[in-house]
Amino acid sequence: MPPGAPSEPYGLTLAAAARAIAARELSPVELTESVLGRIDAVDGRLNAYAAVTSGRAREAAAAAEREIAARGPRSPLHGVPVGLKDLFDVAGLATGAGSRVREGHRADEDSAVAARLFGAGAVLTGKTQTHEFAYGLTTPQTRNPWNPGRVAGGSSGGSAVAVASGAATFALGTDTGGSIRVPASLNGVTGLKPTYGLVSRHGVTALSWSLDHAGPITRSVEDAALVLDALAGHDPRDPASLDVPLTPYARGLGGDLRGLRVGVPVNYFFDRTDPQVSAAVRRAVEVLCGLGAVRVEIRVPMTEQIRAVQWGLTAPEATAYHERTLRTSPELYGGEVRTLLEAGELVPAGDYLRAQRARTLMRRAWEPVFDAVDVVAAPTVPCTAAGRGRERIDWPDGTSESVADAYVRLSAPANIVGAPALTVPVGCDDAGLPIGMQLIGRPLGDATVLRAGAAYERARGEIGRLAPPQDLAD
Amino acid sequence: MTDIPLSAGEAARWARRAGLPLDTEHAPAVAARADRVHALLSPLRTLEFGETPPAAAYDALKEPGHAAGRAE
Repeated sequence: MPPGAPSEPYGLTLAAAARAIAARELSPVELTESVLGRIDAVDGRLNAYAAVTSGRAREAAAAAEREIAARGPRSPLHGVPVGLKDLFDVAGLATGAGSRVREGHRADEDSAVAARLFGAGAVLTGKTQTHEFAYGLTTPQTRNPWNPGRVAGGSSGGSAVAVASGAATFALGTDTGGSIRVPASLNGVTGLKPTYGLVSRHGVTALSWSLDHAGPITRSVEDAALVLDALAGHDPRDPASLDVPLTPYARGLGGDLRGLRVGVPVNYFFDRTDPQVSAAVRRAVEVLCGLGAVRVEIRVPMTEQIRAVQWGLTAPEATAYHERTLRTSPELYGGEVRTLLEAGELVPAGDYLRAQRARTLMRRAWEPVFDAVDVVAAPTVPCTAAGRGRERIDWPDGTSESVADAYVRLSAPANIVGAPALTVPVGCDDAGLPIGMQLIGRPLGDATVLRAGAAYERARGEIGRLAPPQDLAD
Repeated sequence: MTDIPLSAGEAARWARRAGLPLDTEHAPAVAARADRVHALLSPLRTLEFGETPPAAAYDALKEPGHAAGRAE
């Protein structure tokens, strides 16, 4: 094991594991057994996984070990365990989507991202829990490893909890209104929603075609860059897929941030935000400035329309996706999601078109912001993980909102604009719960947000921290 | 006026027109949720769109593919 590494392989970052595997200091079998052992130890309590594929993982790890011994690793992901949100098709496995609607499902082929990961040599440890059909922000069946009495966040809650607890070295999630960044932030790990169209959604169960993204949840920014290197690329099977020259993301990390313009919003992102969250993010901005970045105040445009565009696109599109099963077997949906899907049938086409046209206006309105700054720094979510069962959050200004509305509020703008958005851990509140900072870049500015995030985490000096050991084991 | 509440009966009737039967006991919850969504969308009606096209665009050169899985 490399000097200074965690005592168990399951605690390694992807980057550290890849270096150890390449140096023949760690074998894929040893790493996979360590992660499977960790799943056995903690997942009875946390329930991050919908299905664990131990046999498949052991076979893949043994094959990786043989291949690496003969020819060296195919990529930094070779022989490294990954959890896939249970929305990604993997040939021969169920894509359960957190719903009884999918009982008996078997995927015929790999989703585009699964195929890319397997092509890079990653070892699938299982399918991770999702809020039912990704239509929610809590993933109620999963527990937060920092405090099992708190929500995991969602909808990629299983992926974030698996990464935070050592039950996967990295994972993939999907993000329609924050579903990668929200659980990543609430579980103290890194999450990247890439630019819209940069990562193919072929073979991924849809929530909203206009807003869906796929991306990594990892223990470090470097890890996220390594995964994005494997995932990014044009796919004609996804009509939103971008056909653009690609940047080497992991190789682009490093150096200081001299001259980087960091936008700090004077409206919206710090409104109705827990003071401890705001303070932690502002301290993180100071760290960026200490690395050479320049702070620039920015004003967020069209804030009155953000929630309207998010709902105006998501509600009718989700209902359209579920049209058939909503008519043939509505009783198989959970009550909350069924009601949302049925209500979506009553959104007029005129409202949907207004949302699509407003999205165009919003993209235009953000262009001057991205001309003025390289990244926008803001809280990822306005508060830390809520207690399980808590429904509303009351703010000092007398307003109140549902937990889901609060969690989606600060992440939705990047989904609507299609901008890359990264969340990195920036500390904990007084209750010991993690706080995340969101770095939003211009579309296709993924390399810039990763570079800024990586510089921050190096300066903070706490890379790859797992949720603190507590009573996670059964 | 856009803040006209939807009754359970109206929700069931409009859903049926779209080919979606609603259980009688379920219709009030759907009507209430539809009203909340309707209220959330109201800021869209304050915008001046002019010639702005929708963000979703058809590409005559590309066949819309199996974009993101299937419903079942």
